[in-house]
Amino acid sequence: MKRTLAQSLALYAGIFLLVLIIGLPFWWVVTGSIKLPQEIIQRLPTMAPHSFTLQHFRKLLQSSDFPVYLLNSIMVALFSMIVTIVLALPAAYAFFRMAFPGRNLLYRLILVAYAFPGIVVLIPLYGLFARVGLVDSRASLVIVNVALALPFSIWMMRSFLGSVPREIEEAAVIDGAPATTILLRIMMPLIAPGIASVAIFAFISSWTEYLFASVLIVSDARRTIPVGFAGMIGQYQIDWGLLLAGATAATLPVVILFALVGRWFVSGLTEGAVK
Amino acid sequence: MKKNTALAFVFVAPALLFLLAVLGWPLVQAVIFSFEDIGIIGSQGHFVGFANYAAVLGGMHFWSALGRSVVWVVGNAVVQTVLALGTALVLNQKFPGLRVARVWVILTWIVPTVVVVIIWRWLLSTSGGMINPLLMEAGIISRPIGFFATRRSAMVALILINSWRWFPFTALMMLAGLTRIPGDLYEAARIDGANARRRFTRITWPLLRPTLVVLGVIGTLLSFNVFDVIWLMTAGGPSQATETLPVLIYETAFKGYRLSEAATISVLTSVVLMSFAVLATRAMTASEAGR
Repeated sequence: MKRTLAQSLALYAGIFLLVLIIGLPFWWVVTGSIKLPQEIIQRLPTMAPHSFTLQHFRKLLQSSDFPVYLLNSIMVALFSMIVTIVLALPAAYAFFRMAFPGRNLLYRLILVAYAFPGIVVLIPLYGLFARVGLVDSRASLVIVNVALALPFSIWMMRSFLGSVPREIEEAAVIDGAPATTILLRIMMPLIAPGIASVAIFAFISSWTEYLFASVLIVSDARRTIPVGFAGMIGQYQIDWGLLLAGATAATLPVVILFALVGRWFVSGLTEGAVK
Repeated sequence: MKKNTALAFVFVAPALLFLLAVLGWPLVQAVIFSFEDIGIIGSQGHFVGFANYAAVLGGMHFWSALGRSVVWVVGNAVVQTVLALGTALVLNQKFPGLRVARVWVILTWIVPTVVVVIIWRWLLSTSGGMINPLLMEAGIISRPIGFFATRRSAMVALILINSWRWFPFTALMMLAGLTRIPGDLYEAARIDGANARRRFTRITWPLLRPTLVVLGVIGTLLSFNVFDVIWLMTAGGPSQATETLPVLIYETAFKGYRLSEAATISVLTSVVLMSFAVLATRAMTASEAGR
């Protein structure tokens, strides 16, 4: 397909705008985190840093609670990710590869759960957790994060499971392999990209969860980044260098994760037909 | 075959029971709470019938928050659809760096909301910041604009910020719809002499419409539920201008310590959302059947 000059211009203008809208704010934040305080607040902002300092990161890691929040966030996100995969995988397999009565109804119920406002269940959930002694525990966050990520995760497996030819399974069934073996030995390797994208989704939604973490966690030592870091905004006399360093540090783990397996997640989104 | 059915239930049961316990049961409890008079979390309540509903529906707060939620949802839908459609069209073309662009376009969506909040608080700050000094230097304004100082501009700024966070996600979902339009259709149209605009209005738009409708419904529900960006940016201010229903529920429960009232508002909110979802789905299936 050849493009006319006008179409090429429109395309590259679009690309330029995208880079500007998405990239520039991040560029300013990351470069801001290594500028000297006087350069950050100077009247005319600089595009590229003219100074270099690690003082904001030093302060962030040495004299704030940020490292604690970071560790909590990583722990909660990893556990949420594992539990989500363990629950989503067999459920998705049953929904998209097996026939059983009530399948459509149950599947629809799960889709409804995805769009449901979390804040509605927050209040009663707090009471339930209080009764079993789970308030102010990181486990409570894992439980909530899994519940929030599960519906979309199951839905996202649809395209990956659908792409595996039926013949492979049928051959295994004829050979007398039990369904659990089929799932673990034959399907698992074939749908590894799907598992990767569920893993990313579960990790990210846990990493960014604010609402439940702000209510269920009481002590500072168990806070995750979204809540702990939000508290730092007001706690210090707005120290932009520190906040920009924190923003950079909070972005880094998901960027690393995304660099490793992000393309699977994107293909999970774009191929998982919207239906 | 019988054995298989049992196995299917074994596979589905853990996820289903988990969702029922963590989302389903609390939902039932929220309904129960809405008929009681609980104040602070954990305190005992008494049955008061429909008193909470009468108070909430008779007062102003619920209705004005509902109105703001509608503005919020419509604003987000318009801004995000325009941005996402443009982005999806770009990402559906071939250009060097396409693979990288398709992955990293979603950067704004994978960072925690608090990072989004810090980015925009800083960029839009009136003392220092980035946007204000640049606008002043360019001679467009003479004094810094307080983006969160007036009721209207606070809502507009919040809608733009939330759209900034979500449009790449929506764009990738739209891209899914675009890539499923067969390329031969465009080829045939080109041979027939259809120009770019005709190809868009006659092929892309009609074939993409079902995707857009589904996304519109899901996106509406998702942006309705947004709480953290609003709370961290403005906490519902200035003077309640950005207090949407989720913010009102949170305020009532955790700042006002009126738990039952908050539960009542959340039940009413759920009713509004579910009726919207049911009506939208019905309209969708009806228009599909009409084809």
